[in-house]
Amino acid sequence: MKRVPPTHHNDKKSKVKMKNWMGTVKRIWSYLETNKTMLFLVLFMVVVSSGLGLLGPYLVGVSVDEFIVMKKSNGLTMMLIGLFIVYVFYSLSTWLQNYWMIGIAQDSVYQMRQQLFGHLHKLPIPFFDHRKHGELMSRVTNDIENVSSTLNSSVIQIFSSVLTLSGTIAVMLWLSPLLTLLTLIIVPIMFYGMRWITGRTGKLFKEQQRNLGSLNGFIEETISGQRIVKTFSQEDKVIEDFIERSKKLKQSGYLAQAYSGFIPKLMNMLNNLSFAIVAGFGGYLALKGQISIGTIVIFTEYSRQFTRPLNDLANQFNTLLSAVAGAERVFEILDEEIEERDEKDAEELSVVEGHVAFQSVSFSYEKSGNTVHDVSFGVSPGETIALVGPTGAGKTTLINLLSRFYDPDSGSILVDGHDIQHVKRSSLRRHMGFVLQDSFLFQGTIIENIRYGRLDATDEEVLNAAKQANAHSFIMKLPNQYETQLMQDGGGISQGQRQLLSIARAILADPIILILDEATSSIDTITEVKIQEALQRLMKGRTSFVIAHRLNTIQKANQILVLKDGAIIEKGSHRSLLQEKGFYYGLYNRQLEDTAN
Amino acid sequence: MVKCMKIYSYLKPYRMMVALALFLMLAELGVELLQPLLMAKIIDDGIMQENLSVVIKWGSVMVGISIFSFIGGIINSFAASHVSQSFGYDIRSHLIKKVQAFSFTNLTKYPTSSLITRMTNDVTVLQNTVFMAMRIMLRAPLLIILGTVMALLVNWKLALVLLISIPVLILFLAWVMKRASVMFRFVQEKLDNVNGVMQENLMGMRLIKAFLRKEHEASRFNEANDALQKKTASSLRFIEVSTPILLLVMNVGLIIILWLGQKKMATGTVQVGEVVAIVNYATRITSSLSVLSWLIMSISRAQASASRINDVLDTKVDLLDTKEESRGNEIHSGEITFKDVSFRYPTADTDALRNITFTAKAGETIAIMGATGSGKTSLFQLIPRLFDVDQGQITIDGEDITTMKLDILRKKIGFVPQEALLFSGSIQDNIAWGKDDASMAEIITAAKDAQIHETVSALTNQYDTPLGQKGVNLSGGQKQRLAIARALVRKPKILLLDDSTSALDLKTEAKLLNALKSYTCTTLIITQKVSTAKEANQILLLEEGELIAKGPHEQLVASHSLYQQIVLSQMGKEGLTLEKSTSHSS
Repeated sequence: MKRVPPTHHNDKKSKVKMKNWMGTVKRIWSYLETNKTMLFLVLFMVVVSSGLGLLGPYLVGVSVDEFIVMKKSNGLTMMLIGLFIVYVFYSLSTWLQNYWMIGIAQDSVYQMRQQLFGHLHKLPIPFFDHRKHGELMSRVTNDIENVSSTLNSSVIQIFSSVLTLSGTIAVMLWLSPLLTLLTLIIVPIMFYGMRWITGRTGKLFKEQQRNLGSLNGFIEETISGQRIVKTFSQEDKVIEDFIERSKKLKQSGYLAQAYSGFIPKLMNMLNNLSFAIVAGFGGYLALKGQISIGTIVIFTEYSRQFTRPLNDLANQFNTLLSAVAGAERVFEILDEEIEERDEKDAEELSVVEGHVAFQSVSFSYEKSGNTVHDVSFGVSPGETIALVGPTGAGKTTLINLLSRFYDPDSGSILVDGHDIQHVKRSSLRRHMGFVLQDSFLFQGTIIENIRYGRLDATDEEVLNAAKQANAHSFIMKLPNQYETQLMQDGGGISQGQRQLLSIARAILADPIILILDEATSSIDTITEVKIQEALQRLMKGRTSFVIAHRLNTIQKANQILVLKDGAIIEKGSHRSLLQEKGFYYGLYNRQLEDTAN
Repeated sequence: MVKCMKIYSYLKPYRMMVALALFLMLAELGVELLQPLLMAKIIDDGIMQENLSVVIKWGSVMVGISIFSFIGGIINSFAASHVSQSFGYDIRSHLIKKVQAFSFTNLTKYPTSSLITRMTNDVTVLQNTVFMAMRIMLRAPLLIILGTVMALLVNWKLALVLLISIPVLILFLAWVMKRASVMFRFVQEKLDNVNGVMQENLMGMRLIKAFLRKEHEASRFNEANDALQKKTASSLRFIEVSTPILLLVMNVGLIIILWLGQKKMATGTVQVGEVVAIVNYATRITSSLSVLSWLIMSISRAQASASRINDVLDTKVDLLDTKEESRGNEIHSGEITFKDVSFRYPTADTDALRNITFTAKAGETIAIMGATGSGKTSLFQLIPRLFDVDQGQITIDGEDITTMKLDILRKKIGFVPQEALLFSGSIQDNIAWGKDDASMAEIITAAKDAQIHETVSALTNQYDTPLGQKGVNLSGGQKQRLAIARALVRKPKILLLDDSTSALDLKTEAKLLNALKSYTCTTLIITQKVSTAKEANQILLLEEGELIAKGPHEQLVASHSLYQQIVLSQMGKEGLTLEKSTSHSS
């Protein structure tokens, strides 16, 4: 297996270092380097093809001199056959270097994508809360695609440029060190010119990619929310906003492209300049008799060759620059701190009984004001805990903390006596089953979606889970039953049916700790009564957390926690809470009255 | 081919700039071709004659024109950049307008991820190709053509070898491009897939983490990524075969020229200088070939992208806004009538709704109940014409909604979907989404009525609090109330609440429903709660797409068994008998 380049996330210094251009290039190189042998082969082929590329014209020159100018005819056939062989191998080596290079480049890009994807999954939930999906998607597609299209050709070009350059400089030095020095006068100009341009365009390309990302994010969000766009007839507003972002992209792209377009022109000019300098000074030296005329003629020819490979490279420089900008944005994500970072000493929770305890837990989200403060309670294995309270009281927040989507600001949460901050997230969640508020389903068939709860479940087990969740009957009415494809935006089945499927999914998962966050809110009450029974059965022997607004569904809970403004204001069983005649009593009676009157 | 070319008509507005860029490119090419002449002059007349003043004279001319060409090159760079960026911008603008005009049926044809790649990645590909085209693309072909012409002028008999091999090469290239563009189309499709898996993963991140399905998702991604990698590599490799072949063909041509040249020289029909010159041109042509494969790749890629963009632009929008002006300019009273309405989703093979007939009088509140999947949401979606009915007719204020202007129809409808669907932006932005010119006072009123004002006021930044995508930093109930505020701010004549209070506690819900009474609008409310339904003037009970009962609570509770079951499920027998006794007594 190939070595995978390091992700650098454990190296804080790299973050700063990577800001610069060369750093990014080096890091891209580290991906290519994983295929050292192949890279070496490519390099070898470049040497071969460069050699043959010189040999061919040389042989043609010889043939012209010998057979055309001198009009010899002996050996012409041999020569032409030799030439043919050279050309065949020339083509072959050109083909091979490209063939292998494409392999290396695409493999690097593949690794980059793979790594980015893997890394995203290691990032904590809060990371995703502040970013648009489309913006992140842009990094996987647009940014990495930029890298992809550049790596294929540029690497070979850089190789052969370096090769030709060093070859020419060597010959030039051999011919005349003085003239070589003169030719190299343009190097500092070239260097500063390039630096000026890349300094400018580097930023601009970064901005272009950022703008492209933001546009991507905007499209993703508005198309996903098209229902709202349409019903509120906000198409024009969307178009307007889109165009504004598109305009920004155009502006940054305009300058980036224009400035990077200077590079080949600059090269060309310097090329001519160097020729003129060599011709002028060479002529002067020749007049003084310090140099032969023949040397100048050959030398001018070489000095022309000096910048040609660079010229070729320069023509593609804009794609190279935008690739670096793209790569930088990919590395930005790879350098984000992962959630498992703090868990070096984290332990595995292998067997869990189901004790859960919150000890003076406080937490607040960064941006919205939802908080919980000083929440403490304990749950014994097999108990059912209901969380009740007005919206925004912190019910879902407690679930988020228990599942470690977020970590508390202070206090601790214990599962079987282990502080979950010191437990690996994966091993914690392995014991939990979730029916979350938004019942997200994946594009795929119904059976695949239920099986998501436990990947190795047999068809029969899936069917059983669906039956228990009361989903079986509606599934059987669908055109392809369990094989019915679900659309990504949930087209095809109703919200309530989605909830039934996610309940089936949780049933299949068979967890020790069960979390039902508004699991039945979109389900009609008749169906609810039916699955309530299944849920009761499911909750037996498991520690269950239930959030529900319909209080009749939670009366059997061992403990009811009444939350208000992030704090527990009452706790106890249904009966004891009614006797207390507090907040819960009010809620319950209100609900009863509401239905009764 | 023709279809792909169509996209380039978007270059039309910039033809002057394109002409300028191309002219400058040709000028540059001219300078480049002039250079060997100048060099020859410097060498032959200057250095060889040991005449320094000639060297300096022509040397400065050369430096002069190269500075001139540098300036031209920079102007070309700006012009080309301007044209290509504006070209891309225009295509994006057309795309978004088209996509916004799409009906949901149209949208189901394109997964979101594919539309996104088309609007960004594909446009970028085209844009880059146009940029390159105006800068270097024509150079290689021009050099080849000029080289051939020059060779023909020197000695057409000998140059015939070139003349024959070049059309063969062109045909070969055309074939390569055609195949490659098909291959690149697949590459872009694979990119769509990668994008799609990525999008799904981002949307379902919580669930994936909760179910520890990282590996499962990674293998799904790996599959898509692997396919993309393989397809890209094979397409690029296919194209990279063309250069070595081209080189070989040209070089064999060169060998033939040498051979023929030698033969003809023996018979004296060809001069030495002529052979040398033709060999020289042939090598020049060959050296400009190496750029070609890169050109072919750009063009085939661009063709693939162009056809993908054209697909979107050429899609026929199947839910069209009416051409004629509506008779009434606005919805006045908001009376909704369904006459025998049947509807089926484009992808489904059974009806979602069958023969639905009912009338909601202006100002009435209608509750819609039924089991999950009975067609409640489908019924709602027909009112703002997210889909069109297959049979029957829906009228508002007596007017068929298909004859109404879409924005007039939708402007007076306040729609609150089941899933709150908020956008990233501030809370204020999200409420104002319902009414562009909403004043702060209007926003606050709507928020107060939606029972969210207090919550918002408690936030540090209040109405300026930014929301993450889909409002992730709010609780379910808060999202729902914001979505309600968004609908209320437009003071709708028709309010559609699709189970929008499911995450609200009863107290808040009661306050909300009470506040709604101050709005003079026809309200359709999908609900599971009998308590809510009871307040309605009429209850519609749906089962498997059919309307099986309608009437006020008292009537249904007395006569309809399914409704009785629903009441039973929520309040137990006690509720039902209590119910009966009150209805008897009244």
